[in-house]
Amino acid sequence: MTPLLSVEDLAIEYITRRGAVRALDGASLTLSEPCVIGIVGESGSGKSTMGLAIGRLLPIFAQRATGDLKVEGVSLFAANDENIRGLRRNRLGFVFQDPMTALNPSMKIGRQLMYAAGDGLDPKGVHELLGNVGLTDQARVAASYPYQLSGGMAQRVVIALAIARKPALLVADEPTSSLDASLRDHILELLVSLRATMNTGVVLLSHELRVVLRHCDRVAVMYAGRIVEDGDTSVVFETPVHPYTLALLAAAPGRERPGEMLQPIPGVPPILSGRATGCGFRPRCGFSSKRCAAERPEPRVIAKRMVLCHHAERVIDDAQRKDIGR
Amino acid sequence: MSARLIDLGSASVIYRSGPLWARRTVEAVREVSFCVEPGEIVGMVGESGSGKTTAGKLCLGVLQPSSGTAMFDGHSPIDRSCRRGQMAVVLQHPEWALNPRLKVAISIAEPLSIQSGVSSQARMRRIEEALTMVGLDAGFAQRYPYELSGGQRQRIAIARALVTRPRFVVFDEAVSALDVSIQTQVLNLIKQLQAEGGFAALFISHDLAATRYVADRIIVMRYGEIVEQAPVRRFYERPSHPYSQALFDTIA
Repeated sequence: MTPLLSVEDLAIEYITRRGAVRALDGASLTLSEPCVIGIVGESGSGKSTMGLAIGRLLPIFAQRATGDLKVEGVSLFAANDENIRGLRRNRLGFVFQDPMTALNPSMKIGRQLMYAAGDGLDPKGVHELLGNVGLTDQARVAASYPYQLSGGMAQRVVIALAIARKPALLVADEPTSSLDASLRDHILELLVSLRATMNTGVVLLSHELRVVLRHCDRVAVMYAGRIVEDGDTSVVFETPVHPYTLALLAAAPGRERPGEMLQPIPGVPPILSGRATGCGFRPRCGFSSKRCAAERPEPRVIAKRMVLCHHAERVIDDAQRKDIGR
Repeated sequence: MSARLIDLGSASVIYRSGPLWARRTVEAVREVSFCVEPGEIVGMVGESGSGKTTAGKLCLGVLQPSSGTAMFDGHSPIDRSCRRGQMAVVLQHPEWALNPRLKVAISIAEPLSIQSGVSSQARMRRIEEALTMVGLDAGFAQRYPYELSGGQRQRIAIARALVTRPRFVVFDEAVSALDVSIQTQVLNLIKQLQAEGGFAALFISHDLAATRYVADRIIVMRYGEIVEQAPVRRFYERPSHPYSQALFDTIA
C-alpha cells in the first residue's frame, strides 16, 4: 500500500543575497495511514517549510537540494503542473495561521465555498458544509463577507474551504496562534475530528507543546531542519529520548510545581548554510561529545520511537537514574 | 506613604467611536478594583477584548478612568510626574518597541534623559549596568536592533524599562511573541530581576501557564470585568470561578 505521505531525506534551501539558507536539512517522515500528527519546533526549525513543501507551495527562491516528497505515491517535485493542481485541488487541504488573509475579502462566504467545492454545490450543500465545521448560523455566515465574521468563525470557514472536496491530507500551520485561548481547543477538536469523520490525515504544525500533547496521536519534533524524534504522543512526551525534546519539555511552563524554576534552553537555534556535518543541537546539548560534531546522527528506533541522536541510550539511563533519585 | 502602589477603585473606561451622529460607546473596563502592592507581581489573564491592556493603561496613567479612581502611591490622577522614572512598560513586539535607527545604547539611555542630574559618565555606567542585568555584555550597546534576535531585543526592551530603576513595570504580553525556549529565558529574567530589584509589576498575558509561573497573584478578566482574583497557589490547584476553570483546563 502506498503511504499517504512520505518525505524522504528532503533538503530545501532558500536562495538569498547572502547565499543559501538551509531550512530543511534531510527531513524524513512517513504517514502510512491517516492520523493526526503534530510537528513541533521553534521558529526557524523548518516546520513551515515542511508544511509548504507538502503542496509544493514554496516560494520561487526556494530550491530542493536533495530528497523527495510524495503524497499518495505521487512525487511533488517530479509531477507536472497539471498533476500538482489536481493534487492540490482534490487531495490536499491547507489551513494557515491568519484566517482573514486566507479568505477573499470581496466575496461572500457562500460563493467562496461554492468555488472551492467545484461544480454542483447548491446552497443546501454550503449550509451542510458550514454545519460540519460547527457553525450554527449557516444562512447568515454564507451571506456574510469575511470582515463580518469573528476570528474563530473565519477560521472555521477556512477549514470548511479546506475540506470542501474531502481531501486525503490536511496541513494546518499554526491554525490557532491568532485566536484566543478559549477558542483554540474548539478549533483543534474540529481538526482532530476530521480524521474520524472523513478519514482525513491531519498534519498540525505548532510551536506549542501542550496543543500537540492534547490533540495529536503522533508527534514529530523538528530541530534545525530535521525531524529529531518521532513517535506516538504518549510515548514521546512521557519518556523523551532526544535531548532537545527533553529540554523543550523542561522549559515550557504549565507542568511545574509552585515555586519551581524552569530550565531554559541556552543559546539559539543554528542557521544552516549547507548540509550540517554533525548534530544541529550539539552546541546547546548537555550530552554532546566529539562524535556529535563529526558524525551526522542517522535515524534509529529506540524505545518505540524514531530518534536522531548518538546518545539516546545515555538520555534514557539518565532519566531512569533521576527517577530512582526522586 | 500608602501601602498600595497602584490602587484602582471601581474604575471604568468608555471608548467612543464612530462619527458624532452615530456615536458608539464600548465599556472596555467596568468597575474594576484592584491594587498592586510594592514588590509584588500581579498577573492578569483574559482573552483579547477582555480589557487587560486598558487596565494596564489605567495603571500607567496614559488613560484616565471615565469614572472611579486610579491612584499611584497615593497620587490621583496618575500623571507624568508620577510616571517619570518610576514607571515603565514592556510591550509585546520588541521589533516595534525599539527605534530601528538608534543604537541600542541610545534607546536604553532615552528614559534617563528626562531624569535631571545624570551625568554622561553615570549614564554610560547605567547603560552597562542595565545590559548586564538582562544578561547581555556591554558590546551590545553599539549594535542596531536588526542585528539582534527576538529574545535579545526583548531583553533590550526590558533593560530600557529598568534603567531608571522604576517602582512599577507593566509587561503587556511581553513574552507572547517569543519561542518556548526564549520565552522561558525571559520569564526567568523577569522573576530574577524582580527578586533583586524589588519592583512591582503587572504581568498581562493571555497565557495562564506563563502568568502563573511569574506572578504572585492572578487577576482573571472577562468582558471588562474581574471574574476572579486569587493568590497564584490557587491556580495550581483548581480555581473557583467557572471561567478560570476553563482557562485552567486548557493548560492542565
